[in-house]
Amino acid sequence: MLIEYADVFISGLTNGSVYALMAVGLTLVYGVSKAFNFAYGSFYSLGGYLAWVLLAGIGIWGGYISVFIIALPLLMAFGYVTEKLIVAPLRSRSDWEIKVMMITLGLALFMDNFYQVAFGSRMKSLPPIVDGVWDLGDIVISYQDIVILVLSVSGILAFRWILNNTRIGMAVRAVAQNPEGARIVGIPKDRVFAATFAISTVMVGAGGVLLAQKYFVSPTGGWDILVKSWVITAFGGMGSIQGGLYAAFILGMLEAFVGYWFGMTWVLFALFAVLLATLAVRPQGLMGKWG
Amino acid sequence: MGGLMAIIYGGLAIMPLFVGGVDYMMHILIMILIWAVVASCWDLIMGFAGIFSFGQVAFFVIGAYASAIVSNKFGIPPFFSIFIAGGIAAILGVLVGLPCLRLKGAYVALVTFAVHMILEPFLKGHMGRAIGTGGSRGILTIPPINIFGYAFTPDNKVAVFYLTLVLAVICSVIILMVIRSFWGTAFLALKDSEDFSASLGVSAFKYKLAVFALTSFLTGMVGGFYAHYVGMLSTRMLGIDLFVTLMIMLVIGGIGQFPGAILGAIVTVTLNEMLSPLGPYRPLILGGLVVVLVLLLPDGVIGLLRRIFGGKRKTREAEA
Repeated sequence: MLIEYADVFISGLTNGSVYALMAVGLTLVYGVSKAFNFAYGSFYSLGGYLAWVLLAGIGIWGGYISVFIIALPLLMAFGYVTEKLIVAPLRSRSDWEIKVMMITLGLALFMDNFYQVAFGSRMKSLPPIVDGVWDLGDIVISYQDIVILVLSVSGILAFRWILNNTRIGMAVRAVAQNPEGARIVGIPKDRVFAATFAISTVMVGAGGVLLAQKYFVSPTGGWDILVKSWVITAFGGMGSIQGGLYAAFILGMLEAFVGYWFGMTWVLFALFAVLLATLAVRPQGLMGKWG
Repeated sequence: MGGLMAIIYGGLAIMPLFVGGVDYMMHILIMILIWAVVASCWDLIMGFAGIFSFGQVAFFVIGAYASAIVSNKFGIPPFFSIFIAGGIAAILGVLVGLPCLRLKGAYVALVTFAVHMILEPFLKGHMGRAIGTGGSRGILTIPPINIFGYAFTPDNKVAVFYLTLVLAVICSVIILMVIRSFWGTAFLALKDSEDFSASLGVSAFKYKLAVFALTSFLTGMVGGFYAHYVGMLSTRMLGIDLFVTLMIMLVIGGIGQFPGAILGAIVTVTLNEMLSPLGPYRPLILGGLVVVLVLLLPDGVIGLLRRIFGGKRKTREAEA
């Protein structure tokens, strides 16, 4: 009886860890610059398609290690340039928050249809990062799940280390806490905004590489991820990384068990119910600061 | 504002004299009027009331489905069912608005967008089929609007066009009256300084909830009208490309620059039809267009005209 749930539990844990990585990226950008990126899901697909092009298209030597070495800097550059070109010029305008949402929504439509035109609407599958299973008698855990879990948790830990121990990390925290104060002590605010956007692009793109091997890559597959990342962020609390982590694992479990008991179509309704309940009872989320 | 609106609708009203015989052109004109109302409603709630609602397409689709189901299931004449659909959309609008008004900025956009996102699985799923949405097949037979025995079917498009024009003018006048009334002033005050306006006794909650109800009602009603005009519905309308198309109307027209949204609808619907032979490249171009237009047209066509001709009226930002 409990054994059956072990599979569901492991799937919830693996997905939860990747969701955590991606939700932290989303909360980072909103927490620091108040810009909400509607193209976040399309950046997820970008990671998946980069991996697909490198592995299936070029057949790169070195497998996933080379994919990460090549894709992550590309994603970072893409995020940086995107912020500089289309988000930064809007900051000084009236209603800039809504304009950022509009422009990133346009970018999302552009990117999704670019994938459609360039790669076709058929779903692409990726090989697993490692083969084989860990046989524990009644429970069988695939090595793929373990590697995904380890990689995404290390990604989050690396991010935390950057935030706490490096100059750019401290600059990011300073701008998030008090933009005016940060400017007064000479922190280049614009560069911090671009850097956080670039880091978040890397996080969601890496999430795309990790999850694509389990769930395929498709032109519009990112919308699900955008909604999930956002519900996690709202549930955990905007701007709170720790809250995002707890929320990601809780919602990863919720998704796995709702999917198992009622079917996948109910997952979105369940997430929406959690979202509304959170906003009604505790609008700042589990651990977030309001504002 | 009113003058420009009269010129635009007057110009549209004489169009059938030139293209009345071309069904395809008349269809474009009808769609321009329908989207002009939806875009104006969006402008009212977002540009004037300052509520970042991303649920306008959702309320349009809710209205369309509601009217189709009400007229199909209960045999209520479409002329009345579109008002019922507006009422249903308004009730849902208030239900969505209630939690939203406690929230700020991006949260409102995301909750309303979440309504949009779950509408498709709802309409396609078991619950949707139970109330008669037809699941993923959609609703294939919707009766046309019938007034005193005269049926406004897609076969006589000129008649449908003038009926749409009447509806669009009524809706636009309502929107204009709201902007001109003390509501509009209250919104302007709330946008400039919410705390100060509240201290003067302007209730943000009351006005914002009312505008949620009003825009949802008008959008839902027009959605119902659309359903009876085209005669069939599917969840394809909930795709991101239609949402972005509506957004382009607002960007071209200018946010908070009513009646710019009507101009935006004219340009965008026409452009969208011209792009349709391009197949999959059409949404690609639309997406790119949003990025370029948001960057280059800060206040839309109206703002551009004002900058070129240096009109007397200052922009809203300049007043602030």
